[in-house]
Amino acid sequence: MDKMINFTIDGISVEAKKGESILTVARKNDIYIPTMCYISKTTPCASCRMCVVEAKDVEGFVLSCNTPPTEGIEITTNSAELENERTNIMKLYDVNHPLECGVCDKSGECDLQNKTLEFGVSQQNFSAREQHRKIENWGLINYDPTLCIMCEKCVHVCNEVIGDDAIDVKFGGYSSTIIPKNNDTLDCTYCGECIAVCPVGALVSSNFQYSANAWELTRVPATCAHCSGGCSLEYETRHLGINGGDSILRVKNNFEYTSLCGAGRFGFDFSNNVLNKDEAAFRKAVEAVKNAKAIRFSSMITNEEAHILELLKDKLDIKLFNEDARKFKEFMSAYSSVSAKKHHSGSLDAVKQCDAAVVIGSRIATDNPALRYALTTASKHNGAKILYAHPVEDALMQNTVTQFIKYEVGTEEGVIALFANAILKDLDLSEDERAFFDELDLGYLEAETNVGDDELALMIKSFNRAAKRVLIVGNDLISHERSSNIAKLAAMIEKYTDFSIIIVPNEVNTLGVSLICNLDKDEEISNVVGYNAKGDFVISSLAGADLAVPALNQQEGTFVSIDNKVLPTNVALSFKGYTLNDIAAAHGIVKETTVDYTKELNTEAGFKNIDFDSLENFLSAHGDDVRGYLLDEVECESNGKLESVSELPEFNGTVIYHSNPVLQFNAYTNITKQLEKDTSLRGSAQFAAAAKISDGDEVEISFGKRSINRKFKLDSELKGTIALNPTFDDVSDASRYKFEKSKIVRVIHE
Amino acid sequence: MNNEQFNNRNVSENAYYLVDIEDYPTDGWGKFKRVLKRTFRGELFVGLWVVLREMIKFDIHTIQYPQEKMPIGPRYRAVHEMKRLWESGTERCIGCGLCEKICISDCIRMDTKIDENSRKEVSEYSINLGRCIFCGYCAEVCPELAITHGGRYENGSEQREHFVMYEDMLTPIDQLKAGNQLEFDGFGAITPHEDERVKKTPLAY
Repeated sequence: MDKMINFTIDGISVEAKKGESILTVARKNDIYIPTMCYISKTTPCASCRMCVVEAKDVEGFVLSCNTPPTEGIEITTNSAELENERTNIMKLYDVNHPLECGVCDKSGECDLQNKTLEFGVSQQNFSAREQHRKIENWGLINYDPTLCIMCEKCVHVCNEVIGDDAIDVKFGGYSSTIIPKNNDTLDCTYCGECIAVCPVGALVSSNFQYSANAWELTRVPATCAHCSGGCSLEYETRHLGINGGDSILRVKNNFEYTSLCGAGRFGFDFSNNVLNKDEAAFRKAVEAVKNAKAIRFSSMITNEEAHILELLKDKLDIKLFNEDARKFKEFMSAYSSVSAKKHHSGSLDAVKQCDAAVVIGSRIATDNPALRYALTTASKHNGAKILYAHPVEDALMQNTVTQFIKYEVGTEEGVIALFANAILKDLDLSEDERAFFDELDLGYLEAETNVGDDELALMIKSFNRAAKRVLIVGNDLISHERSSNIAKLAAMIEKYTDFSIIIVPNEVNTLGVSLICNLDKDEEISNVVGYNAKGDFVISSLAGADLAVPALNQQEGTFVSIDNKVLPTNVALSFKGYTLNDIAAAHGIVKETTVDYTKELNTEAGFKNIDFDSLENFLSAHGDDVRGYLLDEVECESNGKLESVSELPEFNGTVIYHSNPVLQFNAYTNITKQLEKDTSLRGSAQFAAAAKISDGDEVEISFGKRSINRKFKLDSELKGTIALNPTFDDVSDASRYKFEKSKIVRVIHE
Repeated sequence: MNNEQFNNRNVSENAYYLVDIEDYPTDGWGKFKRVLKRTFRGELFVGLWVVLREMIKFDIHTIQYPQEKMPIGPRYRAVHEMKRLWESGTERCIGCGLCEKICISDCIRMDTKIDENSRKEVSEYSINLGRCIFCGYCAEVCPELAITHGGRYENGSEQREHFVMYEDMLTPIDQLKAGNQLEFDGFGAITPHEDERVKKTPLAY
């Protein structure tokens, strides 16, 4: 236990942990110190100097944001001098700030507006010659330098939390501005976090700009529906046009404590707009479900829908197909058979606080941006060692990753065996387990996986000193043929060490579906009803369905996130058609609303009997996450036996990695207006040479029976002989092993 | 400014007085006397005489509405007008949305967007006159004196929901050029002699 530092603020005795600043302690104790540039999730910018306080027996003012308290010090946060100092700072901020609050997007939620009024700046005694500054258009983001107050929040967030490091301060006194780093225009992943943190209207969403005022919008707290990160967000809705109905105008997040990627922020317009109830289609759907042999569904559904599907399965005696969740479930059951716990132990918070992390088998920056941001935070704030093991290097992670291990495609089992062996080397294992590791043919594994002895030694060396360690297991391991043995090896690390382990679910609610449904292995049979998936009769929230159902921003319900948290989401836009609950009701499974099932979710899987309406969905003023609830830990039988590592497969020839570009995840992100839809096959120059294609060629990629036409794009950031093929526009099977041998032929148009 | 006259809300202290009216009769005899009095006093002929007298004077003040209309006070609050800037002729409305927000009968709705010069542009603006109570709040809150009430008080229509389009309210450009746009003094308006009151910025550059 760390020793606490006792001191007083305004006569109130408070205590601080090591590493806390005076400001954080004051905030924790609800003592107000005004700030303009401080943001909790980054290191202090210390550019505004509003947070000055007085300390007894210390001359001058002290910056409370970056000064740690000392034992017994007496802090004063309010005095005439401090008030004067702060008012002068506000006056300086107001110098030449355009008086365009009437049209400014930020008006009504502007820090500068609030503080100017708070300090009663009614006249100006400073001035500076106004200069011409050009409004910049950076794609999804517009930047107006005249409104910018140079608080540098955006730069700190971009660098320390997101990891793009795409914007920078151009210093120059009064003519300082924010500029794209090392570039003429902004080249980043467009997370839009800079927009969120901007206290004034300098950085704004170009799509939203000037379309509504802050006070006109209705805020709907929800959970992001694009990946398993379970990020909290607020859809802001308003009528569109004079006679128009409601639509989502923008998405905001609690930027003080959480982050949101661009898919969440800009990819909100995926709702399914239905004008009325289509009774004929509904009757057909009821009939189709009744006669179906199976229902195939995707994991982009709520827990309640999954529960209804499970009830339908029992009632009608049909099969449920969802390969993505089934593979995850199998992986987890193998994992539990060794770790004796049903759920993985890690969380995003654990990653943020860790000082060493291993990422294996995932292109994490695009698969799960929330995890990427957590890793960046750990790396920048705790100096965490990040080991990234994958066959394809990722340029987005290069600022964060301290060690990159490139292994051969398909050898994930060997790699995790080598890691487990290195980590568990000197630990006290059971006899069987020790025998397993003794039997390992390390030479063979190292040769086949291409992971060197020295690389493993370096890993162990940097990890031994770490106190909080995390292992992040990606989708390539879950979808792997030998996934159950891989799961057991990962569980060994969990069982015998202090590593927290995170298994990254593929889709938004893969984890929830795997806990709720009893899934069958997908077969190519006829008479399958597709629920947000393909089938002979398709019930879907995407275009072209036989019966339209609401999209995830038109439903209330819960998801299970990567943190094992059950998170509620709410209705942002109304839906006028039928829902799955109506179909279930037609089959005698009657509940008034879908969320009536929330309290009936499977308690054996860790769900609690809590009503949907009593689930909270917000972060407290101190940043405590009070959304939903954490799944109960469930003890499992520990009877799993490690199997010996099988012969590692080889992937020769042209290998394609199915991986989406930044901000694209699935068919829903594909229909949004703002997100870039780059469907080209991206590969390095080396790949182009090997496949005999060049930039801009149209190519036909064939894997086994299937083939697809793509445009080839040379990507200078990629290395090696593996090309990346996006899947968001062609969602055939989200659960397949993402590396695939393929044949690439150039298409020549006659 | 002295607000005392407005703050004193005790109306009985001021200029109120009782009108001198004869008491109404309460008994039967009294009522009978009143009937006789009214019947035989010949008041009808007094009225008829006034009409006859005015007729032969040939000085008639009747206004032939709707062919003729009375001039109406500039502060009358009828159908809204949208003003233009004198210098450039562009619309004054900046799309701040305050009129929409303050409207107590919720009859104003506007839509704005960013235009090609990165400025805020009002793309749609309408007032539902079927709901409008002509309270004048929109004109009062407008920071640009862009919306005011005009004198067009006739809005009879077959439809209860009677929208007014922005274009109908906007001062026609030829009317502006002819100098016919009505401007208002008073609260929110440009103060007279504003030019003389402009001061230099306190510090020299």
